[in-house]
Amino acid sequence: MGKPNDLVQGTLDLLILKTISLEPKHGWAIAKRIQQISGEVLQVQQGSLYPALHRLEQRAWIKAKWAESETGRQAKFYSLTAAGRTQLEKEAANWSRLSAAIDLVVETS
Amino acid sequence: MMWIQQLWLRLQTLFGRSRTEQRLQDEVQFHVDREIAENIAAGMSAEEARHTAMRTFGNVTLVREDARQAWGWVWLEQLVEDLRFGARSLRKSPGFAAVAIMTLALGIGANTAIFSVVNAVLLRPLPYPDANRLAIIWSGLGSVNRAVASTYELFEIRQRSKEFDQIGGIWITNGTLPGEGEPEQVKVGEVTANFLPILCAQPALGRFFNAEDDAPNAAWAIVISYGVWARRFGSNPAIVGQSVRYGNGSAVIVGVLPEGFRIILPGNVPSNVDVFYSVPVNNADPGGPGWLHLIGHLRPGSTFARAQSEADAIATQIHDWDGNQNISGLRLTVLPLQADDVREVRGTLLLLFGGVGFVLLIACANVANLLLVRSTKRARETTVRAALGASQGRLIRQLLAENLLLATIGAAVALGVGWFATRAILATRPPSLVIFNDVTPDLTVLAFTMAVALLASAFFGLAPIFAIGRRDLAQTLKEGGRSTAAAPRNWSNFLVTVEIALGFVLLAGTGLLMRTFINILHVDPGFRAENVVSFQISTPKYEMLHELQKKIAVLPGVRSVSAVSHLPLVEAGNWYANYWKEGASVREQHSVMADHRSILPGYFSTVGATLLQGRDFTETDDVAHQHVAILDNVLAQELWPNEEALGKKLNVSDSPKGPYQFERDWVVVVGVVKHVQCHSLTVMVRPQIYVPFQLAPRPVSIVVLTAGTVPNLAAEARAQVGLLNKNMAVSQVVPLTEYLTRARSHSRFASLLAAALAAIALLLACIGIYGVLSYSVAQRTGEIGVRMAIGAPRWRVLRMVLGQGLKSTALGLVGGFLLSLVLMPLLAGLLFGVVASDRVNYILISGVVIGVSVLAALLPAWRATEIDPIVALRHE
Repeated sequence: MGKPNDLVQGTLDLLILKTISLEPKHGWAIAKRIQQISGEVLQVQQGSLYPALHRLEQRAWIKAKWAESETGRQAKFYSLTAAGRTQLEKEAANWSRLSAAIDLVVETS
Repeated sequence: MMWIQQLWLRLQTLFGRSRTEQRLQDEVQFHVDREIAENIAAGMSAEEARHTAMRTFGNVTLVREDARQAWGWVWLEQLVEDLRFGARSLRKSPGFAAVAIMTLALGIGANTAIFSVVNAVLLRPLPYPDANRLAIIWSGLGSVNRAVASTYELFEIRQRSKEFDQIGGIWITNGTLPGEGEPEQVKVGEVTANFLPILCAQPALGRFFNAEDDAPNAAWAIVISYGVWARRFGSNPAIVGQSVRYGNGSAVIVGVLPEGFRIILPGNVPSNVDVFYSVPVNNADPGGPGWLHLIGHLRPGSTFARAQSEADAIATQIHDWDGNQNISGLRLTVLPLQADDVREVRGTLLLLFGGVGFVLLIACANVANLLLVRSTKRARETTVRAALGASQGRLIRQLLAENLLLATIGAAVALGVGWFATRAILATRPPSLVIFNDVTPDLTVLAFTMAVALLASAFFGLAPIFAIGRRDLAQTLKEGGRSTAAAPRNWSNFLVTVEIALGFVLLAGTGLLMRTFINILHVDPGFRAENVVSFQISTPKYEMLHELQKKIAVLPGVRSVSAVSHLPLVEAGNWYANYWKEGASVREQHSVMADHRSILPGYFSTVGATLLQGRDFTETDDVAHQHVAILDNVLAQELWPNEEALGKKLNVSDSPKGPYQFERDWVVVVGVVKHVQCHSLTVMVRPQIYVPFQLAPRPVSIVVLTAGTVPNLAAEARAQVGLLNKNMAVSQVVPLTEYLTRARSHSRFASLLAAALAAIALLLACIGIYGVLSYSVAQRTGEIGVRMAIGAPRWRVLRMVLGQGLKSTALGLVGGFLLSLVLMPLLAGLLFGVVASDRVNYILISGVVIGVSVLAALLPAWRATEIDPIVALRHE
C-alpha cells in the first residue's frame, strides 16, 4: 500500500488537529466528528486515521491519555499540545491561503 | 527542545514495545466495538453490525502495521529480526558457520597481525618531536655511499645550509658506566651539542649540552639515560650537577634523558645509548675521517627535495682542502629519517602485506563460495519467501544481515587470532625490527580490521544475491530446490580457480624465500662459529689482556683464546675509515674504505678464519717494532690487483680523535686472510684490515674456542677477569653461533611468515575445492545414481568428480603462473642464490598444488562412488 500523498496527508493532519482542539477525543469520535461536521462529505479511512494519529503523537503535536469513555470503557483520548496548537494555526492559515487561491483560479477561469 | 521530546517519545515506543503494541490493539478494538454498537443502535442485527464495522474499518493488521511504521522503528525491528533469523539459520548449519567463521578469522587475523607490524614500523611516526621534519644526511665519495661525515663536513654544511635550521651529529661507541660500583659496559653517544635537542624536546632533569661544555678547559659534561639514572644513581635528583667517576677521570652529570628515549638510526646502530657527551664542531681538520651520523631538522616550510638540491650545491663547494688537486667528488644524500630507518625491512613488510592481502582475498572467495553453495541449497526456502511476497530488497537485506553477522563474529575471533599472530611475529622478528618495540594492535588496527570485515561481508554478500536475482520462482519450486542451474556452479568453479591462482602466487614467493633462507644457512661466513664463546671487556691494557689470554687458555676444555675489537656480524660501534697504499693519489686516498679490527695473536685460528698468505701477528708486533697489518683478500685485491700484497706499505693514519687514538701512520702488510662476513651474510659491505691490539688498544671481545660445551666457562672467565682487575666490566657473554642466528633472522622471519601465509592460503583453497565438490556431488546424487544403475564402474565416477575438481586447479595453475611471472620479480631484492624465475621452484610448487588439490577432491569423489543407485533414485 502506497503512502497517502502530501496533500491528503497534510489535510488529514489539519482535520485531526482542528477536531481535537476544543476537547480531547478518541479515534472513533474524531472520525465521526469529521464525518458529521463535513455533512458526511469527508469519510475518514480508518486505514489512514490511526497511522496519522500515531505519527502526530510521535511528533509531539498531540498527546494521548487513556480515560473512561462515554460507554464506560477505557479509550485512548487525544488532545493538542502547545506545539500542536502552533502547528494547527500554521496549517489552518496555510489551508485558508491555499483554498482561497484555488477558489480564485477556479472562479476566474 | 522539540527534538528531545520527540526522541523521548521514540525511545519510549522502542523500549515499551510490547505495551505499546497491546495498547494499539486495544485502541483498534475499541474503535471496532464502538462502531458495532453504533450499527446495532441503527437497527442492524448483531452479525450484520459486526460485518459492517469490519468492512468500514478495513484491514486491521495493515492499519496496525502502518501505525507501527509511524513509530519509526521498523528498520531496526527488521534488522533485529534479520539478525535473529540469521543467527538461527547459522546455528542450524554449524559446520558451515564454523568453516566460514574460521576462514574469515584466519584471513582477517593474519591481516591484523601484519598490519600491526606495518603500522608500528612504517606508519607510526618516530617517537621524536617533529619526526616528519627529521632527515639523515649521508656523505659519499668515490664508490662509497651512505657513509658517516667528518666534523669538518658537518661544520661546512652548517655554515651554508638554509633549509635546515639544525644539523647535529652522533657517533655511538662502547664505554663504561659512570659512577661507583660494578664496572659495566654500555653504549656511549658522542654528540654535537645541538644533537639531543633535535630528538628530544626536554630532558627529564637538568639540561642538555651548550657551547660552554665544548670549551677547551670546561669540565667534562655528560647526559645520562633515565635507565642509568634509576639503576646506577637510585633516581636521585640531586645527582644532577654533581661530579662522578667516569673512565679514568671524572665527569659532571648535567642532565637526565626522559624515560624510554631511544636513538633510532638506520642500520643496526644500537638504540639503547646510556651516556652522552658532546664534541666540538669546527673546521680545524679538513682531512679528518668521517664518523658522525648527521641528523638535520628541516626549517618550517622547507621540504626534503629542497634540502637535497641545496645539499647537492653544498657538496660541490666543500672538500677542497687539497690546494693542488681540488677534490670535489663529495656527494650528500638527504633522506627522511623515518624512511631511511625502515629501509631494510620496508620491502619485506610491504611484500608480506601484499601476501596477506592475497590471503584475505582467498578467504573472501572461500566464504563467498560457501555462501553461494548454501544459497543454492536454500533455493527452495528463498523461493517460498519470495513467493509469499518478500521483496527482493528485503531478501537481500536478510542475506546481508546474515553476512554481517558472520563477518562480525569472524572479526571478533580474528582479533584473537591477530593478537596471537602478532605475538608470534614479535617472537621471530629480526633485530632490524626490534627497535620498534611497541608493536601492539591499536585503534587504527581495530578500525582496519572492522573495515576489512565489512568490505569482505559486502563482497561475499554479492555472490548469493546474483544467484537470487536470476532465479525463476516457479522453475525452482518445480525442481524442489535441487537446482541444477549451471550459473552458480560456474561461479563456484571460478572462485576456486581464483583461490588456486592466488595460492600459487603465495607458494611461489614462499618457495623462493625458503630457498633463500636455505642458501643463507649454507653461506660460508669466513669464520667458524661453533664452540666459540665471546664476551666483552672494557679497554684493558695490553699486559693485562695478554695475562688474561694465558689464564683462560689453561682452563679445562679451552682450546684457544684471543680477542678482537669488533666481532663479526655484530654491528655495534663499528669502526671503518679510508686506507691507502703508498703512492696513492689524493682521490685514491679517499676511495677505499675498510672495517678496522684490532686483534690479539691467535684470533684467526680461534674463530676459524683462513690465513691465505703470510703470517699471524705475534707478541712482538708492538709499537717498538715494525708496524704491521693483515688485510683480507678483498682489500688486498682492491689495493694491489694482480700483485703480491705482502710486504707492501699501507697508510692507516686517519683514525678519529676519540678516547682510543690510533696513529700508526704506515704499516707493512704481513698477511692476507680470507674475507669474513662482518655485516651481513649475503652482502660484502666493506673489506677488513686487522692491526695488532698493541697498536690500537680499545674495548675488545674475548673469543674462546672450546672442545665441545664447557658449562662453567662464563663464570670461570669472569672470575679470571676479576682476579686481574676488579673494576673491569664483563658483558655480552654470547656464543658466536647466536650472532650467526641473528644475522640469518631477517631471512628466517621473511620465509617463516611467507610459509605461514602460504599454508593458510593452501588450507583455504583446499576447503574451497572440498566444499564445491561436496556440494556438486550432493547435487548430482540422482545423476550419479542413474549412471551407476546403467553400469558406470566406480572408477569412472571417481574420475568424473576428480576431473571436475582438477579442472579448476589446472586453470588456477595457469592463472597463478602468469600472475607469478609478473609479481615474482618484486621479490628480487630479498632473494639470495636463487632467481625469481627459478624453474625448479615453479615445478615444485605446481606439484604441491596438484597434490593438495587431489587430496581435497578425493574425499567427495570417494563419497560419490559410495552412492547406492537405489537410494539415489528414490531420493529423486
